[in-house]
Amino acid sequence: MMQVTLTMKPRAKPFLPIEAEMIVPMNFIGSRELFVWEGNKKRRLEDVFTVRKEGNVNSPENIVVILRGDTGRVKRVGEYMSSGIITIEGDIGMHCGNFMRGGNIVIHGNADGWLGREMRAGSILCHGNAGDYCGSGYRGEKRGMRGGKIEIMGDAGDYLGEYLTGGEIHVHGNAGMFAGAEMRGGTLKIDGDVRIPAANMSKGTCIIGGVAHEMLPTFEKTGEKNGMVVFHGDVANKGKGELMIRQVQENSALQ
Amino acid sequence: MHEILIKNAFVIDPIQGIHGDIMDISVRDGRIVDKVSGTCEVIDAGGNLTLPGGIDSHTHVCGTKVNFGRYMSPEDMRAGRTPRRGAMYHTSGYTVPTTYGNSYRYSKMGYTTLLEGAMAPMEARHTHEEFAATPMQDMLANTLFDGNWNLFEAVGDKDIRQAAAVIGWTLSAVRGFGVKLTNPGGTEAWGFGDDLSSIDETVPNWDITPRDIIDTSIKACEFLHLPHSVHLHCNNLGMPGNYRTTLQTLDIPSDLNPDRQTLYLTHVQFHSYGGSTWGDISSEAEKVASSVNTKPQVVIDMGQVMFGRTMTMTADGPMEFRLYTLHHNKWSNHDVELETGSGVIPVYYSRKSPVNSIMWAIGLELALLVKNPWQCMLTTDNPNGAPFVKYPEIIGLLMSNLYREKELDQVHKLTTDRTSLGTIDRELSFEDIAVMTRAGQAKALGIIDQGKGHLKEGALADIAIYPVKPDQTDPSLQYEEVIGAFQQTLYTLKDGFVVNRDGEVIRGIPNRTFWVNANLPDDMDVMKSPRFVEKFSRYYSVDLENYMVQDDYVERGIEMNTHVA
Amino acid sequence: MEDKIRHVICPYCGCLCDDILIEMTGGEISGVENACTLGARKFLDDAGNRLKGPIMRKGDEWVDISYEEAIDYAVKVLSEADRPLLYGWSGCMTETQAIGAHLAELIGGIVDSTTSVCHGPSILAIQEVGHPGCTLGQVKNRADTIIYWGSNTIEAHPRHLSRYTNYADAYFFHNAFRERKVIVVDVRKTVTAEIATEFVQIDQGGDYHVLSALRAIIRERGGVIPDMVAGVPKAQLIRVAEICRQAKFGALFFGVGITMTGGKYKNIRNAIEFISELNRYTKWTISPMRGHSNVYGSNEVFTWISGYPFAVDYSRGIAFYNPGETTAVDILARKEADAALIMSSDPGAHFPRVCSEHLARIPTILFDPYPSATTHLCTLQIPTAVNGIDAAGTAYRMDGIPIMTRRFMETVYPTDTKLMQEIYDRIRKVKEDA
Ligand code: SF4
Ligand SMILES: [Zn+2]
Repeated sequence: MMQVTLTMKPRAKPFLPIEAEMIVPMNFIGSRELFVWEGNKKRRLEDVFTVRKEGNVNSPENIVVILRGDTGRVKRVGEYMSSGIITIEGDIGMHCGNFMRGGNIVIHGNADGWLGREMRAGSILCHGNAGDYCGSGYRGEKRGMRGGKIEIMGDAGDYLGEYLTGGEIHVHGNAGMFAGAEMRGGTLKIDGDVRIPAANMSKGTCIIGGVAHEMLPTFEKTGEKNGMVVFHGDVANKGKGELMIRQVQENSALQ
Repeated sequence: MHEILIKNAFVIDPIQGIHGDIMDISVRDGRIVDKVSGTCEVIDAGGNLTLPGGIDSHTHVCGTKVNFGRYMSPEDMRAGRTPRRGAMYHTSGYTVPTTYGNSYRYSKMGYTTLLEGAMAPMEARHTHEEFAATPMQDMLANTLFDGNWNLFEAVGDKDIRQAAAVIGWTLSAVRGFGVKLTNPGGTEAWGFGDDLSSIDETVPNWDITPRDIIDTSIKACEFLHLPHSVHLHCNNLGMPGNYRTTLQTLDIPSDLNPDRQTLYLTHVQFHSYGGSTWGDISSEAEKVASSVNTKPQVVIDMGQVMFGRTMTMTADGPMEFRLYTLHHNKWSNHDVELETGSGVIPVYYSRKSPVNSIMWAIGLELALLVKNPWQCMLTTDNPNGAPFVKYPEIIGLLMSNLYREKELDQVHKLTTDRTSLGTIDRELSFEDIAVMTRAGQAKALGIIDQGKGHLKEGALADIAIYPVKPDQTDPSLQYEEVIGAFQQTLYTLKDGFVVNRDGEVIRGIPNRTFWVNANLPDDMDVMKSPRFVEKFSRYYSVDLENYMVQDDYVERGIEMNTHVA
Repeated sequence: MEDKIRHVICPYCGCLCDDILIEMTGGEISGVENACTLGARKFLDDAGNRLKGPIMRKGDEWVDISYEEAIDYAVKVLSEADRPLLYGWSGCMTETQAIGAHLAELIGGIVDSTTSVCHGPSILAIQEVGHPGCTLGQVKNRADTIIYWGSNTIEAHPRHLSRYTNYADAYFFHNAFRERKVIVVDVRKTVTAEIATEFVQIDQGGDYHVLSALRAIIRERGGVIPDMVAGVPKAQLIRVAEICRQAKFGALFFGVGITMTGGKYKNIRNAIEFISELNRYTKWTISPMRGHSNVYGSNEVFTWISGYPFAVDYSRGIAFYNPGETTAVDILARKEADAALIMSSDPGAHFPRVCSEHLARIPTILFDPYPSATTHLCTLQIPTAVNGIDAAGTAYRMDGIPIMTRRFMETVYPTDTKLMQEIYDRIRKVKEDA
């Protein structure tokens, strides 16, 4: 086993974002010099973090990277990661786990937007809340998350699982608006409430354990299952997706 | 005074009839000269292939629809990103790169002249603005007339002189170069959501047919003595069975010009389909090529398809809509009032698809079956068939039967039955390739006298030196080396300066825009026709005074003065 | 002395009317013909309202400084910043916008235009599903059915109806005004709604639902639709769908009433997909009602230079784009920017308060001929010649038609193009020397 602890140093301009896609377990094998970007300045990893390495291994599965301190502005941690573990003790910035291909990311605080964007495999567990576009795609791209699992213990923001194509997202709290928009595969499960779920979905399964507000008029009710109403849609686009809802908001202003 | 001596160059210059001699080339102040002083900069070409700068006679790199391809595709921009370095700005994009991306990549491949295939007159400023941001090549703009109401009226009146007046005025007004017809009449029909399916079908609301538009435009072009002929994108692009339309179109022009073709047919691959549905589509490249072989008055370009993702973009609005209904991907359309249309959609050409594989084969068949390389230019209709960075692979396919056979094994098996590619063993030579990538273009575009496409004394010193020694290379077997060589020059010179060295742009030189001033006599000046002016102000949404492109947009313009018969 | 200048381009809104007649008396604008009141005011209010020269904040006071000192300051601030934001641009001509994009590239900054607070969502939608559009003259000559959705056109783009749609001459109609149908969709009965042949009143935030329902009806799945959708009776939806399907040429125009509410870009996407679907039956186009004069030009220029229409972040040298992350409002709300250059726009009046507060905290350089709400936030304001009055350049109309604006007045002010070029050249030198 090897444990790498990165502790954020105090910064002169604490609001500057840091781009740190090089923080993936594999990169800590050996003693390669690593760089991050703070705003438009390239910095050595050691200039931004106190780095402590314990143990020595030569395979990423056995590496645990721990991020400590004020990491809410650190972006792209775990991008393209394929194995090993990243544990974030506090909050994490945008695009954590982009294109992830394997391994685990655990976030004890909140995650900012685009958590697990275009992820292919592996798992992300966020104990706090996730921002907008969790498990989504990139602008203009037709596929979001394609595989793996994202679990959010708190709430998720808007456009959760936009273009979800495969894999599973499970939010224990509520989600914002347009959860599961353009979904084309995979499973999106929200235990709490949502607004305008599964808009324009074409495939996949979306399960809402709470109340669906502002439900779209273009879903066809096809039956009930496990105490949930089952819909198919979105018929606005010939969609063949499945949407299951515990409770559709009555007298919605929009219906 | 700036001089360069290129020594030991293996020169192929088809226009001069140099078929591969080791020689020296002298350059002074941007031009090829007889001799330079002993103290000048010397480049040792080391026996490597040395050609005039490449010319693309049909590409889409600047203007409204190209930029819309970029605008709607941030996902594509994630590829091909390079930061600013040295003399280069940053670049982004793969299928529709930024202007600098296009320009640097073409330069790396030895290209110094590009013809933008489609400029809507009303949006000409946009094209010219992007020309200014495509610094490594001289630019020309084919100007769209396929749905031009003023031209339609002249065609309806069978008045060639009036048609010439409209074309001449428009080219001068928008700083255009040649006449482009894209699905003539069809783009007008698309104004109400229709298309035309034959060259003899009447254009809705107009008593004319595509045949009339093509025929009149050809005659008007010759009447004006334009450097380039009518540049035609035939009707029915991409439709199974469309080869009939193409053959009928090929029969339209008689040989009217001793210096060049009378009709240029672009991306003929997309127009050589047999069958009647996507299910039974087949190649009719043999018939089309045979027709071209009997018609010295015709030049075509391939419009080769290569596998992978790309973006289709054309003034052919109805065709793009049909494509959209097949692909269900994003679709953009942009009709231009009184003039033309356009559409953009991304596509993916797959080896697994029988249709895509057949398309791929047809382009190659055309290039191999047209006997005279001066009649078939190498293009992908960039980026419609593939991004232009695929040209070297196409060169490899044309030069090596072995490579073709290998590739044919990889594509859908129906390709062997539905095309003749597997039965052709012709292998093109370096000289054929030199014709199909620069000399032929210079002749077809009528810009030999502008010093393009050759290395005669007085020519522009646009030169590409490729890292391959033709006398020691067998392209048939060493196709990979050939491909590598055409992907990146050792040196690209433009205007007598080394602008690209081993793939890096090392300096920029202000580029030029070639445009035609038709010098119409007073009695042909449409601006003096009250009817023209009145109609313009009624139906266009800009004032005539704000339509004409100001000199500011062609500060680096080369005005090509022509005079009517 | 009196002068009349014709075919002048109005630099106020995205209609870019190019038939304005200006009367000059004694070197000042004395009359404006053909323009609407908004446009006329832009011209007539010019005289006497401009700043005389650059002003710099020193403590609580403004001091006059020279252009040279102003440029020195800009060069210093911008070349040293870690996350400079270059925002605005819609009042500039493309020539200046191009330098702006290259400047952002040079200094590793973010370049964003006012797009991000008006039609940014339209662009996001277009990036998902494309844009079936056309030039405005195509609508004028052919459209028999026009929809204004979330756009109070009569007030925001006053001459849109007379030049390009309802009241304009049409090649294919004898009496265009009588033969055209106008459908207005909005949350309240606007002035524009008054002239509609069919007014569809939607509940606030219900655009998406109504569009989905219309798409389903067009696809012949109307059976699923409940009797009422977002306040609109199903019968009316069926009627509207039928009018759309019967049109020979339809044109839908949408405004900020739909881009800036509820699902924002999802609304626009739904509208585009509705139009794309209608094209299977007849001809339809859709167009955003772009606001500021040359905002569309900024999208075009940024696109051919960087690949992206707005919100481009160069901090890593290559271009990165992600609205929501790289948009001006987001950068400011998160307090990331440590310097700002504001080009002829007024974030002080339009941005959320947190953003303005941040602008007031960092060095903010404003290029604007006139005092504005942003003046109160900035450190330095530099007045320039006014584009379309005493400076000229290329502007793109809301439908992408590029026009060269006219310069019809002598000026004592430098143009923003010249100043921007100077800043660029100077910073480049600083970087090369370093
Ligand atoms: S509609 Fe717009 S461009 Fe036209 S005059 Fe009025 S403000 Fe100016
Ligand atoms: Zn083309």
